[in-house]
Amino acid sequence: MATIPAFDLAIPETLPVARTRRAAFGRFVRKNPLGAVGGLLMLLLIFAALGADVLATHNPVRTSTHVLVAPGGDFWLGTDNLGRDLYSRVVHGSRISLAVGLASTLVGGVLGGLLGLLSGYVGGRTDLLLQRVMDVMQALPILVLALVLAAALGPSLTNTIAAISVVIVPRAARVVRASVLSIREFVYVESARALGVGHARVALRHILPNTFGPFIVLLTAQLGGAILVEAALSFLGLGVPEPYPSWGRMLSIAAAEYAQKAPWLVIYPGLAISLAVFGTNLLGDALRDSLDPRLRGS
Amino acid sequence: MPSTRPLRPFLFTSLLLALVVAVAPVTAQAPKTGGVLVTSPLSATPSLSPHEESTIATVQQASPCFNNLVYYDPARKQESVDTIIPELAEKWSWQDNYRNLVFFLRKDVKWHDGKPFTSQDVKYTFDMVRGAPDAKARLKVNPRKLWYEAVEAIEAPDPYTVVFRLKHPQPSLLLMLASGYSPVYPAHVPVAEFKNKCVGTGPFKLKDNKPGELVEYVRNPDYFVKGRPYLDGIKFVIIRDRSTQIAALQSGQLDVAGSGWNKTNAENARSGAPKLIIGEADSNVNDNVLINFKKAPFNDVRIRRAINLALDRKAYLIGPRQGAATFGGALLPRPAGVWGLTAPEVAKLPGMGDAKKQKAEAKKLLAEAGFTASNPLKIVVATRALAIYVDTASWMVDQLEQVGVQATLEQIETGVWHPKMTRLEYQVALNLTGVGVDDPDAQLFENYHCGSQRNFSGYCSEEIDRLMAQQSQTLDRAKRLALVNEIDRKLQADGARPILGWGKQYEVHWPHVKGWAVHENSIYNVGRRQDVWLDK
Repeated sequence: MATIPAFDLAIPETLPVARTRRAAFGRFVRKNPLGAVGGLLMLLLIFAALGADVLATHNPVRTSTHVLVAPGGDFWLGTDNLGRDLYSRVVHGSRISLAVGLASTLVGGVLGGLLGLLSGYVGGRTDLLLQRVMDVMQALPILVLALVLAAALGPSLTNTIAAISVVIVPRAARVVRASVLSIREFVYVESARALGVGHARVALRHILPNTFGPFIVLLTAQLGGAILVEAALSFLGLGVPEPYPSWGRMLSIAAAEYAQKAPWLVIYPGLAISLAVFGTNLLGDALRDSLDPRLRGS
Repeated sequence: MPSTRPLRPFLFTSLLLALVVAVAPVTAQAPKTGGVLVTSPLSATPSLSPHEESTIATVQQASPCFNNLVYYDPARKQESVDTIIPELAEKWSWQDNYRNLVFFLRKDVKWHDGKPFTSQDVKYTFDMVRGAPDAKARLKVNPRKLWYEAVEAIEAPDPYTVVFRLKHPQPSLLLMLASGYSPVYPAHVPVAEFKNKCVGTGPFKLKDNKPGELVEYVRNPDYFVKGRPYLDGIKFVIIRDRSTQIAALQSGQLDVAGSGWNKTNAENARSGAPKLIIGEADSNVNDNVLINFKKAPFNDVRIRRAINLALDRKAYLIGPRQGAATFGGALLPRPAGVWGLTAPEVAKLPGMGDAKKQKAEAKKLLAEAGFTASNPLKIVVATRALAIYVDTASWMVDQLEQVGVQATLEQIETGVWHPKMTRLEYQVALNLTGVGVDDPDAQLFENYHCGSQRNFSGYCSEEIDRLMAQQSQTLDRAKRLALVNEIDRKLQADGARPILGWGKQYEVHWPHVKGWAVHENSIYNVGRRQDVWLDK
């Protein structure tokens, strides 16, 4: 009688978690080199935002008589028309961009996600009504809607976050609703219902966690958009008010007026906005490729 | 054979004379008629009624339509009583020791709708502006009512004579009547129509008015000054963005740049079009700090003085103004101004001294008033949401922070800016004030008199009001100047409305634009443009 070789089912005493994560990270970098670049840019942004007080060489709002000084010497990226150090303003600007981007994406995403869950799970008239509201909100271009809200609320950090959050709500709601519509028909959901589990528990414990994949991809994609909208609102004077350093504000009227004489006023804040948005977009694309089962094998 | 040598000097002189005669037409060119001048004003105008507005945008776009009784000579840069020329009034006469001002009107003037101009139109206009009980019309907003407070009655004894009877002598009345803010309106046209239309006697007739887009005029063929205007028309095109204005000028779509340009704008424009001509002049527009006297703790003179001292004027000149400003008190400093403080006096004003010492003194004053590092003074600095305001206000916030004041900036939309200031709904504000006439009565009564609509800081001093009335009635010019300077010094010491500086104006135009006048002590009184011509 042939003997079946025994499989060694011994489990190592300690799991090599770090090694596994490193390997997963290595696989991610190999498969998504652009995503890794995006991640690196995001890390740089976070590092600059968290360490702005240490990284900045000057007080970013302190004016001086060193007006429109070219990059070099004491002022690495030059100074603006009020004699403020541009490098320090760009570094501190990352804090505002990241804060507005993250806060508005999270607020808008969570609010939109919950609405999407409600809409998809309850269905019927609730779904119809909520989706028509989302249609109206999505019919307006992102910037136009944010502009209207920011103009109505007035320029401040909180109002900028509120204005951008509202813009993200319908997008998040749509993505989560689409996932909920398919998940709610799964057998395990029906089983839970049959066992008498309440609607709230089914929605929050059994359906919601399974929508996280596409939801995270959406949030990453929206983060770049939020940073860009904040820059646009500040450029138009409706975002974070002076004298706080916002990249969009730095690019606005004063910079446009002095751009010929002092091109560094537009180059560096413009570069910072581009890199931040580029980074979030690359990372978002890579996460989508990794988390979307339809794209995972491609 | 006779020598030809004695003839040589004669021949040489003749040749030189011939050359001079030949060149003369080039150097003193005769004006050409025709062509449409295109320019861009500061902004769109809320109406075409200068009496109801307080912005240069209205004066720029409405002045070609109207005439005054008298006006400032466009060709003379510094406005004063000596540069006043007749317009609708052929001549005028002060009588009864400056108690009666009599105007003798032209008889050949017609309104743009063909109706004749008479003394009733003058009486109608200025009764309305001074808010006379028997006035035939009322203005919705009347920002310069105080200019005419001394007028007791206006009489029109015949169709071509008008008499302004005064409560007391006021030599300044003539200067205020010459302002771009003092045109004569037709009595037969309801004042509400000036929201979008214009019926005047001026050199140009309104052709088209698309609010927010353009105001277009054509030549008035019946204009009473023969041979004027030279132009066939003027087009004011509204271009909001400054860089678009620059591009429009460089490409030749504009003949003259819009007003409100700074030095950098002018230099940027010329860097792309080297033939452009730049003119720099004083403007009688000041950057000033409004401190709300009606709100605690700003009613404490120590706080006001600390704020005033914290603002280093030399840094202001280099930073927000890029070197294009002069320092002064409540009135435009000399030599551009007529009534300002002298340079040595200006040098002694708060904010003009050593920055470190002044900031230390400001900190000390704040501490005396109870505001220290552990209990800082927290304020909101309001300003108008326009770049020229925001830059200076941002600078101001930082200067205040350097003496321990925690300041934040609030930007207010243009539409609500003046109503908010009038209602004193702010703590501290950065403001720009354009002075309509370089005259103490116009500037002081409007901005510092107790209860004036445009006294945005709520400052009120019985002593200053008394001195203002006294200077207004003083006929001796030297004595009046001494009184005005005394008032100015007191206003600066009280921190009534600290002046940061007086900005310069930059006028940029193509060489083919001739006769485009600029005055150095007001931007409001050169808008008629009947002498402008195009050398094309």
